[in-house]
Amino acid sequence: MILEALEREGVELIFGYPGGANLPIYQHLPEHPKLKHILVRHEQGAAHMADGYARACGKPGVVFATSGPGALNLVTGLCTAYMDSVSMIAITGQVNSTQVGRDAFQESDVIGATSSVTKHSYLVTSIDQLPRVIHEAFHIATTGRPGPVLIDICKDVQMAEAERVTPERLEIPGYQLNGHVNLDRAREAAQALAGAERPVILAGHGVLLSHAEAQLSLLAEKAAAPVGTTLLGIGAFPVNHPLSLHMTGFMGTGWNIKAVQNADVLMMVGMRVDDRVTARLADFAPKVKTFIHIDIDGSEMGKNVRPHIELVADAKQALTAIIEHLPEPEKSRGAWLAQIDAWREEHPLRYTHSNGHLQPQDVLVDMYRRCRSEAIVVADVGQNQIWAALWWNYDRPGLFLNSGGSGTMGFALPAAIGAKFGRPDKAVWCVAGEGGFVMTAQELSVAVEHQLDIKIVLLNNFSLGMVRQFQDDFYGGVRSQVDLTHMPDFVKLADAYGLPAIRVTKLEEVGPAIDAAERAKGPFLIDFRIDPEANVYPIVPLGKSLNDFWEAPDK
Amino acid sequence: MGPTDCIAALPPATASQGPQRTAAGQAPLLSFPLKSLEKEMPDRIRVLSVLVEDGPNTLSKISGVIRRRGFHVLAISVGPSRQPGRSRLTLQIDHGHAEADQVRKQLERLVEVIEIEDVTGEQVHSRELIVAKVSASEVKSLVDRGAKVLDTGPDGTTVEFAGEGKDVGDFVNELMRHGILDVARSGPVVMRRTA
Repeated sequence: MILEALEREGVELIFGYPGGANLPIYQHLPEHPKLKHILVRHEQGAAHMADGYARACGKPGVVFATSGPGALNLVTGLCTAYMDSVSMIAITGQVNSTQVGRDAFQESDVIGATSSVTKHSYLVTSIDQLPRVIHEAFHIATTGRPGPVLIDICKDVQMAEAERVTPERLEIPGYQLNGHVNLDRAREAAQALAGAERPVILAGHGVLLSHAEAQLSLLAEKAAAPVGTTLLGIGAFPVNHPLSLHMTGFMGTGWNIKAVQNADVLMMVGMRVDDRVTARLADFAPKVKTFIHIDIDGSEMGKNVRPHIELVADAKQALTAIIEHLPEPEKSRGAWLAQIDAWREEHPLRYTHSNGHLQPQDVLVDMYRRCRSEAIVVADVGQNQIWAALWWNYDRPGLFLNSGGSGTMGFALPAAIGAKFGRPDKAVWCVAGEGGFVMTAQELSVAVEHQLDIKIVLLNNFSLGMVRQFQDDFYGGVRSQVDLTHMPDFVKLADAYGLPAIRVTKLEEVGPAIDAAERAKGPFLIDFRIDPEANVYPIVPLGKSLNDFWEAPDK
Repeated sequence: MGPTDCIAALPPATASQGPQRTAAGQAPLLSFPLKSLEKEMPDRIRVLSVLVEDGPNTLSKISGVIRRRGFHVLAISVGPSRQPGRSRLTLQIDHGHAEADQVRKQLERLVEVIEIEDVTGEQVHSRELIVAKVSASEVKSLVDRGAKVLDTGPDGTTVEFAGEGKDVGDFVNELMRHGILDVARSGPVVMRRTA
């Protein structure tokens, strides 16, 4: 019954792990050849794969796990999806409904443990609830602001016989979608933008989720307003566009930060305006006279920054409405755009080339050149993530995936596997540091088992680089517990898992290694031994204002 | 009733939820400085009337959101509503450092929450119930205030009283003169005034 319901919802792929409390589902799985099941090596891997799958192809990722430890192993993956508004359905087995509350074997309060990291969750104790619950869950996970929904199903319910039931008409009284834009506010927003002297638009993940990239470009061009993106908004606006400010926030580009800090009208679209965007909140965009905030989730309005004009709406709807009402800009933008160009000259992205070590940026730029804006790049968390975000001029959506809100180390490999399942037509590159990589490295088995074309770029500096950089710069220079001196030989590790790998220590080996990875069928790993002292720049010291950003030192 | 009146009427309920300050010989409930609380906190207190699905997860999800977002429950009442399968919750919440409206917005995100109304400062009937046992057998002054005697015996007298938070607060002060042995107090239930 569960599996039939999943077929009805259009599910093709499930990432899962069987165990005592979901065995009845697995017993019937072979009867459903349309449902392809990927056996993961750890439930966290399943959640990240489903997440990468959803981010890459737009369909909700589906996860199976058993009760107790199985379900609890999903928590980090659910949180990652929840923070970044990724649609996911997690179906967990629960002990028999008659055993709930008796501390039965592998019983845990999964609803309790996951309530704060799911958009919604259900405990199913009767077969009658099941068709409605599954139908509702997919609706809730994929509509409005997407998110993970968990369905905890008691084992006796999984075994119960029921007549085939067609799902009821959806009637969820407590779930309302934001169906319209207040056009008066749209007109106000348009007028504020047109009347601005120094406008800036910031675009977040909401623009990508709503496929509003074209509307964003149109609005930016009509209003002659420069556009920056958040880390998760990368791809929403082409970086090589003359109006692009590239990435914003505390590791954003210098010219973006300068523009935000000097703007008089700031329009924030499909974003949460979190602390990584604002740095010290009191000093965020201090010259702004009119904050305009567009988000599909009304609770984002004023959560961090109080907007003067708020539009609770889907990004595409809101931008379309604003474009309709947009007058010709009242003021010439020449001086403002020239000023931004001057900042771009003054604060370019740069890194040290000449200390004899292999630089991560050299590796990434070479990789990106070969990707030709066609491949999906999945980054892990840490320095590798920011380097991967900054060192490519992303010009189209959906090519850069990473765990932004939750910052989950270990995300990249399983998410890359999920992305490849979701978009088998695309090349998929996985960029990770060695620290995050070993957190979920067991999923290499899945990549090998399914001969997935995933190219793993390991930026190996034998340390927890971002933490090391923070300790050096913001915690008195005390390096504490950041040296990863005892790590596996990654080439041998790859060999043990059954995939080819090479090690690169010199700049001139980068090109041939990436060539070899591209040529190889199936997964391939390159262990790049990078400069152990390489840092991420620009960076705003923790707790400081955006104005205080540091740039790469001259060397 | 203006906004200030309403707010002034509600905080006394916080006494039972507030920090346990144990002045010697006094029950914590009564040692809480009600007046100063009204001065310190009124701006941060929201009163919400919430219609919810009557499910096993509802209350824990609501309290989870309140905890996670840094809010604090000062008083809560739950009971069945007019509609089957739905309960009516009345919450008094301190919204902490967040914008006042965040409480409503964050609770509204829960699928279990069907309808939510922020009635802070609105024209409402607000009622709290208190049941108290006092050592005195002579309780005329309590009865004069509207209390009902539930039982009397050699151990003392049990009375009940219902009223607006402020009246309940005043009633507590009167109780103290009768030697309180035990007390139980509900959170408020509210309803918009029709006129």
